[in-house]
Amino acid sequence: MTKLDVLQPDSSVDTGIPRSWVTTRLDHVINWARRNSLWPMPFGTACCAIEMMAAAASKYDIGRFGMERMSFTPRQADLMIVAGRVTYKLAPVMRRIWDQMPQPKWCVSMGACASSGGMFDNYTIVQGIDTIVPVDVYVPGCPPRPEGLMYGLLMIQEKIKGESLAHPVARAEDPDAVGRPNLPPEAIELVAQPFGNSTKQNRVSGLSSNSAVARERDRIERLMEHRE
Amino acid sequence: MPTTVAPDPTRQLIRAEPRTEADLAEHPSIQAVSAQFTDAVRDVGRDASGYPVLRIEPERNHEVLRFLRDDPEQAFDFLADITGVDLGGGVPIQVWYQLWSMRHGRQLRVVCELPLTQLTLTTVTDLWHTADWLERETFDMFGVTFEGHPDLRRILMPENYEEGFPLRKDFPLRGRFSRSEQVRRCLSRSLEDVYATEELQMAGYGDGTVPLREPTPAERPEDALENRLEGEPMLINMGPQHPATHGVLRLVLQLDGERVMRCIPHIGYLHTGFEKTCEFREWNQVVPYTDRMDYLAPMLYNVAYAGAVETLLGVEITERCRAVRVILCELNRILGHLLWLGTTAIDLGAFTVFLYSFKEREKIYNLHEAYTGGRITTSVTRVGGMMADLPVGWLDACREFVENCPSTLDECERLLSRNAIWMARTQDIGIIGPEEAVSYGLTGPNLRASGVPYDVRKARPYLGYEQYDFDVPVGVHGDVYDRYMVRLEEMRQSIRIVEQALAHLPDGPMNIDDYRVVLPPKSEAMGSIDTMISHFKLVMEGIRVPAGETWYSIEASKGELGIGIVSDGGTKPVRCRFRGPSFVNIAALPYLVEGELVADVIAVNASLDVVLGEIDR
Repeated sequence: MTKLDVLQPDSSVDTGIPRSWVTTRLDHVINWARRNSLWPMPFGTACCAIEMMAAAASKYDIGRFGMERMSFTPRQADLMIVAGRVTYKLAPVMRRIWDQMPQPKWCVSMGACASSGGMFDNYTIVQGIDTIVPVDVYVPGCPPRPEGLMYGLLMIQEKIKGESLAHPVARAEDPDAVGRPNLPPEAIELVAQPFGNSTKQNRVSGLSSNSAVARERDRIERLMEHRE
Repeated sequence: MPTTVAPDPTRQLIRAEPRTEADLAEHPSIQAVSAQFTDAVRDVGRDASGYPVLRIEPERNHEVLRFLRDDPEQAFDFLADITGVDLGGGVPIQVWYQLWSMRHGRQLRVVCELPLTQLTLTTVTDLWHTADWLERETFDMFGVTFEGHPDLRRILMPENYEEGFPLRKDFPLRGRFSRSEQVRRCLSRSLEDVYATEELQMAGYGDGTVPLREPTPAERPEDALENRLEGEPMLINMGPQHPATHGVLRLVLQLDGERVMRCIPHIGYLHTGFEKTCEFREWNQVVPYTDRMDYLAPMLYNVAYAGAVETLLGVEITERCRAVRVILCELNRILGHLLWLGTTAIDLGAFTVFLYSFKEREKIYNLHEAYTGGRITTSVTRVGGMMADLPVGWLDACREFVENCPSTLDECERLLSRNAIWMARTQDIGIIGPEEAVSYGLTGPNLRASGVPYDVRKARPYLGYEQYDFDVPVGVHGDVYDRYMVRLEEMRQSIRIVEQALAHLPDGPMNIDDYRVVLPPKSEAMGSIDTMISHFKLVMEGIRVPAGETWYSIEASKGELGIGIVSDGGTKPVRCRFRGPSFVNIAALPYLVEGELVADVIAVNASLDVVLGEIDR
């Protein structure tokens, strides 16, 4: 899939809404507005949260990308940045915050611990937050530098560009999913094997490609399967 | 769950070195206890670092500890730590009490050995307030029950954790349940898993037998507005996701109007299992874990851990390494205090200070990066030295920082110290007196703000701190404002220390000259068979540390950081205990905020300068 393909609304999904010049232009305007005024919900727990603060402070200044308005309440946020290790004691809190955020919403998993458990393969750390909530962008690093976080946020912006209001399931809320794990038990076992969390992350998350812009369609396909 | 394991005859109980007459004469407290409680003392001696150890009968622990605290000749008024040690193989679990006497400048470890069938001790919460949380942690991690403890429940793990006691040797590293089961359980928690029974009763669940605390006349005078208003106490839940709790701390507050009647902190939301994980890593592999405990001042932890292992190994690091470690420690003290300054100011509404302090922090990060390659996770020390010698030009960059930093501190001080809002929000808020502060086990700037001049760098100098000329700032009122002033002055003193260390930085090698401990240079490793073998052994196996136990403490940016290490002579630690100062400091929060306004909870909590990575470990 080329970059250009994704920027076009996905024609493989039959929504019943005719593709017209009006709907695509409307998507364009709405996505422009959404991606340039993301309100992040900083779910910072550990070291990564300090780099997230550094990204917001004087030298790096995240405000240049329209994201300086940190929203500390999930109800007025559209981007959850999970920065740091998440324990099993904290996981229900994170899931609750994700459920409280209104659509459209995205999630960034910042750092090795949030993405895969990192160096803590032990009794208390969740082996990748994608077992609990759906993740859009993983930022590698321990901790990632502020530039790394910003690159991840730009990937989210890139991803928003490819979205369309015509997608029937992309932004629908599933009441059955509230407070439940994001992955089935077999998939959780697969990522949680030693080294599994780093080598099998893509497969389990339904990400067939590492390309940033290709992810949106993958997620829609997965949601479609889930619906069926 | 199985609590008894068949004893393994190959595993010997690690003993302190046998007692000698000289030791007894040297340590008056051991002498006094031996004379007073002839039938309670099992054994006395010293561990590898020369720390005096007193082993007593577990049934008599309260008696002996009360004598040690109350007898004016002993006066062990400061309880640094309570922790457990499980050696595995069914041998008794040890419980360590680390004591320090402020008056006599004397230290002592009291050890009780508990057979696995009888894991019971008497609580000492009536002697030291700090024992409350430390005993709860020991209960949580080892299953040791403390009789008479007012509120003995889990502290780090969830309230109804069913997998067992994590720091027992028979507990698997990844837990007893499968990962999917762990995820399923954590997402299906009930109210009882999240709230203490007492809180549920306060909120009206269950029998509701807990009486609510009535405001005192001082808190609510006769003519107060509240008396004319109908109302009932309110329970609010602050955190774990809250912008001003400095991490995932959770406070359950019972409010009467704006006034805090009860404050119950909940911690453990970031419990990372460091102590358990370290038991599965080689000695040098533990260093990266220490970064992530106090990520606001990582090098202090690196240095403390390396120092502890070196003590047990009995190696003496080089002069240059010592001075470089002092420079790094003091830079990180500034780093930690700057973050505290910025975030506390932002909590109280002053945004500019945050930007100024982060500007300075970025300069220290650049120094970190030039030396270690990492901004926060530095992993700078190795046992026996450092990861490398300083890079070219680093010292000049450090000098430049030291020259420019004071002007930023002056700027911050100009913005805050005489600022009417800042003074109103901080002065006479969250007061703690010297006796209470010591009893609560406060250390670092929090203790010194209450007027107790206890600083490990002065009390038990390490890394040659006695050679440096610096002052220990002390407060008078013990309120939030004094803690701010003490930290500000400490940064200036740290700059003084760095200046002195830079001026007299010795030349010479950075690492010790012992290839059983440090890696030989690559050029040598390829040159002779001996060094090649050493290189191979170190890479494949790691260091072997002689059997024994030690306690090593330094003054971290938040207070006294104690590291307890037990080795069985192998390549991995048997027990790694980190006495994080934040864990003990935050336990004093209910004392500080009860009776204050709810807005002051933010100021007081910020003033304690806690880092959740260290509280929860």
